[in-house]
Amino acid sequence: MSSTATVSGQETTGPPRRRPAAAVRRVPRVVWLFLLIPLAIELAWVFWPAINSFSLSFTRWSGVGAAENVGLDNYRNLLDDPIFRTAAKNTVIWTIGFGGLSVLIGLALAVTLNRPRRGVGIYRSAIYLPMVFSLVVTGLFWRVLYQPDGAVNSTLEAIGLDGVSRQWLADPDTALYAVLVAAVWRQVGYIMVLYLAGLKGVDPSLEEAAAVDGASAWQRFRYVVFPQLRGVNTVVFAVTVIDSLRTFDIVWAMTRGGPYDSSQLLSTYMFQQGFTLVNLGYGSAIAVVIFLLAIGFIITYLVRATRED
Amino acid sequence: MSTSRISRRGFLAGSAALGVTGVLSGCVGGGSSDDDGDTADTSSTEAPSDASGPVVLQSSLSDPDPKAALESVLNGYTEGDVTLNTVAIENYRAQLPTYLSSSEPPDVLTWYAGSVARDYASKGLLLDLSELWEGDGACAGFSEALRSLSSADDGTQIFVPTNYYWWGIFYRKSAFEEWGVEPAESWDDFLALCENLQQQGVTPLTMGTGATPWVSSGWFDYLNLRVNGPEFHRALLAGEHSFDSSEVRAVLDEYAKIVPFIDPNGRSYSWQDAVTPLVQKEAAMYLIGAFITQTVPEEDVDDIDFFRVPIIDSSLPVGEEAPTDGFFAAANSTRPEGAKALLSHLAQPDSQQQFIEESGSSNLPTSSEVDTSGFSPLVQKGIQHLEETDEITQFFNRDSSDELQTTADTALTRFLDNPDDVDAILADWQSAAERVFEG
Repeated sequence: MSSTATVSGQETTGPPRRRPAAAVRRVPRVVWLFLLIPLAIELAWVFWPAINSFSLSFTRWSGVGAAENVGLDNYRNLLDDPIFRTAAKNTVIWTIGFGGLSVLIGLALAVTLNRPRRGVGIYRSAIYLPMVFSLVVTGLFWRVLYQPDGAVNSTLEAIGLDGVSRQWLADPDTALYAVLVAAVWRQVGYIMVLYLAGLKGVDPSLEEAAAVDGASAWQRFRYVVFPQLRGVNTVVFAVTVIDSLRTFDIVWAMTRGGPYDSSQLLSTYMFQQGFTLVNLGYGSAIAVVIFLLAIGFIITYLVRATRED
Repeated sequence: MSTSRISRRGFLAGSAALGVTGVLSGCVGGGSSDDDGDTADTSSTEAPSDASGPVVLQSSLSDPDPKAALESVLNGYTEGDVTLNTVAIENYRAQLPTYLSSSEPPDVLTWYAGSVARDYASKGLLLDLSELWEGDGACAGFSEALRSLSSADDGTQIFVPTNYYWWGIFYRKSAFEEWGVEPAESWDDFLALCENLQQQGVTPLTMGTGATPWVSSGWFDYLNLRVNGPEFHRALLAGEHSFDSSEVRAVLDEYAKIVPFIDPNGRSYSWQDAVTPLVQKEAAMYLIGAFITQTVPEEDVDDIDFFRVPIIDSSLPVGEEAPTDGFFAAANSTRPEGAKALLSHLAQPDSQQQFIEESGSSNLPTSSEVDTSGFSPLVQKGIQHLEETDEITQFFNRDSSDELQTTADTALTRFLDNPDDVDAILADWQSAAERVFEG
């Protein structure tokens, strides 16, 4: 891909060097066709609507008639909108909580289940199993557990923690975290598998040598194993940030952003504004904010990644 | 640098692709324009054959029973072919503006009467159906209340109501007998009844405001009708009064009196879930629409009865919620005659009766010619209940907008959790409502 890109750059600027020009001739036309068709589709169905949503965010439009141009009003309203502020705060909590917890637990599980032991395969599959459910199914399943007389509360009561039991999803103090637990429960298996794969590439003789030198288990992990997981960490970081920013379905399935908007994320608020209430302009403005956040993350990440390499 | 080259190239390809699309649709438009010129400015396809083609009915009735009932009503339609598209309600709601404003819309669509339909009519998206309401038209015999409900701001009729339902406080007759209690007539009696039931260890009121927070607007609407009257209620929902006012505060004062009697678990339930405690006789009463009978097990349906929300201020006209469902047609329809013929069929007494019986709902027919003697005693009572009513309202969202409904959901579920926090809740509600009315 990158080589063809360079080649095409060379082709039009008409450089004197021979080889790339020869390479152009060697690329069959049909390959260009195969490249251009998906690109055209991508442009028409992804980039064009995305650009449209930018221009929509400067209008007020209910999907009927002509869109009314309102300049920066939507963005000004966003700043005054208490629900938007809650949603933005929740998105930060979500990204940190979801990313942090799933990576920590996933890594811990991977390290624990890395050594061959009897029945370890069963544990690994059991932990990975939630990943095969869609987020909506996970959401519905956990909603049953969180019911007032559901499994979570009856377990708490059985072990004498009656005071802790509550209506997890109906209580504005706990709703977001209750959903977070369900999302982490599903994500952990995925992160574990990624780390298990990474741990297979760790040279066991290094760890043995460290053990012989008297390093404790923690020291061996921290200074011998973990540095070798750098490649996997990069992948896990990217996967986690992307997954947490695009979280929508599980929150929508479990709380719809309620009770009274206390578990609203930017994504759910955008959906509510754009598609339930058909405020396409306002919804687009929220979408633009999400886009800028995501782009911000990705660019910082890419800059760091390329610098390290 | 190099990547920007490829994307410019791709961009050109992309715009070429778009151009091709334009050319293609241009061909289609050209094909239709040379027939007799009358469809030249629309981009509709194959005008002549299409106008006689099947009428498209877009339906939001996706529950199995109502869907099957509508299908069987359509099977009885002999004047032409009908294509039925059923779309799940959530998607339907979001897509409806798109359906109506597209250049080739579905001809007939299911939806609600009242301000929702009026809004679309004021944007010029609905077909004028006045001829169905005149002379021997299918809707000519409907009541004056239905006529005004189905009229746009300019006085033309744009809606064909085919059925409606009532709201009331539903309970189980056998359970009330067991507990030795009677339905309440006055508001004080009602509060005493709740008190009595609570002392017997029964939850007086069940209400599912978790997944369906709009249910909390039922009590708000009714208490507003009872405390401030229908006129104030309509004006409030139209944005003419403030939610942060002494009138609305008085409504919430009454609401606060029943909050201790409402099942706290209802905050985690949907409206359907909240029916279960009622059926199991753990909870006594439920203020909800007549659609409750769909979720009650068949053997218990005969045990369900209801009573009117008690009167608080007897000097006010009695208002009741009676949300009306039906059909309208798209103004851009390429088959307006076919659409009107189909609407006439749907409005026929026979069709209404068939639909109501087969859909298993407790809805009421809008035509007075429907033979209601075969309907259940509950439905008979519902008909009488609404006949005794002075004024009809729809429901919070249908009298205002879905957007104002979300502000009510937020305010009222918050109120149910913190009934003492009325000042802050009403102030926030009003500022949220202002954003809706300005937007």
